[in-house]
Amino acid sequence: MDPISYFQAIVLGLLQGVSELFPISSLGHSVVLPRILGWDIHQNDDYFLSFLVATHCATALVLLLFFIKDWARIIKGLGRSLRDRYIDPEDSDAKLGWLLVIGTIPAGLLGLLLEHPLRTLFASTETAAIFLFINGLMLFGAEALRRRAPVRDEAGIQNDQAIAHRLSFRDALGIGTAQALALIPGLSRSGASMGGGLIAGLSNEEAARFAFLLATPIIGAAGVLKLPDLLGSQGDHVRGQALVGALCAAVTAWFSVRFLLRFFETNRLTPFAVYCCVVGAVLTVAFALT
Amino acid sequence: MTKRPQLIIPAVVLGVILLVVAAIYWIDDAGSLPSFFPGHEAGSTHVHFKHGLAAAIVGIGCFVFAWFQTGGERPGTRGERPSA
Repeated sequence: MDPISYFQAIVLGLLQGVSELFPISSLGHSVVLPRILGWDIHQNDDYFLSFLVATHCATALVLLLFFIKDWARIIKGLGRSLRDRYIDPEDSDAKLGWLLVIGTIPAGLLGLLLEHPLRTLFASTETAAIFLFINGLMLFGAEALRRRAPVRDEAGIQNDQAIAHRLSFRDALGIGTAQALALIPGLSRSGASMGGGLIAGLSNEEAARFAFLLATPIIGAAGVLKLPDLLGSQGDHVRGQALVGALCAAVTAWFSVRFLLRFFETNRLTPFAVYCCVVGAVLTVAFALT
Repeated sequence: MTKRPQLIIPAVVLGVILLVVAAIYWIDDAGSLPSFFPGHEAGSTHVHFKHGLAAAIVGIGCFVFAWFQTGGERPGTRGERPSA
């Protein structure tokens, strides 16, 4: 019998695409959902990790394609600054590129060094539920500490230029480090980086845009690094399900990023904070009683 | 960005050291690593690929930092307008 059915792959793939980009923790949801539905799937099972590799790769690919024109500009900007050995403060593409590089380094390093120990330490559904509640508090806290109201920039400044103008390299380092919180199931990568962006002075829309750009290399690298697991013996009996799950994740990730960019033009993180607090609290109590 | 030319040589030296550390992580298994290396585990045959990758990333970062310090304090080219 296959360790994951095609139905489970569809559900988990759809969930992954949404929860990876919504600030509600994809890892937390992929830990608690199997228990809620009574599925015999556990976060540290080899086949499940191989399955997640495919869904992560799909999400990263969608993000890359969604922002492909922006990435082309950013990479050209990085090239210009390397050629000139100078980051022109008025070259928003170069500045944004280096903000993304600097933001990616701490998350990448912490991910490389701490991913396995943290995943092992916080593998239980009970801790995932508790951290989901804490994620809600983190989102509330970010909104409370924000520096700017969630209104659209009337000055006509383009988002990327605004991000490059408002964020310092130290801010990017802080946001990148906050992203590493997502190594703990229940805490959200996009929530941490959006929250960090708000505290650093970005609007919700700019913070969401920066979080999605910042997530692309990290999610992609995490997927590519573990791709041998999926292609090796660990991926036996789940490759077909992984492909189906990846397609489902790609579809929901595409619609999620479109929705969220529009949502954050005028809205805050508060609805997601409420969701995480309520679901986290209910699941914590439910898991304690069962 | 303020240039600090006095940091060029230390950054390059640190970058080289980190690349060597990365190579050691990739070549030796955990049991053969020097005892002061994180991840050393007597008798283990596990290769700490990720530790090596982390060291290599920081090493390359040191080279990039040094590269920027070699440039002058002159304005560069202007950025393109982002697409809508």
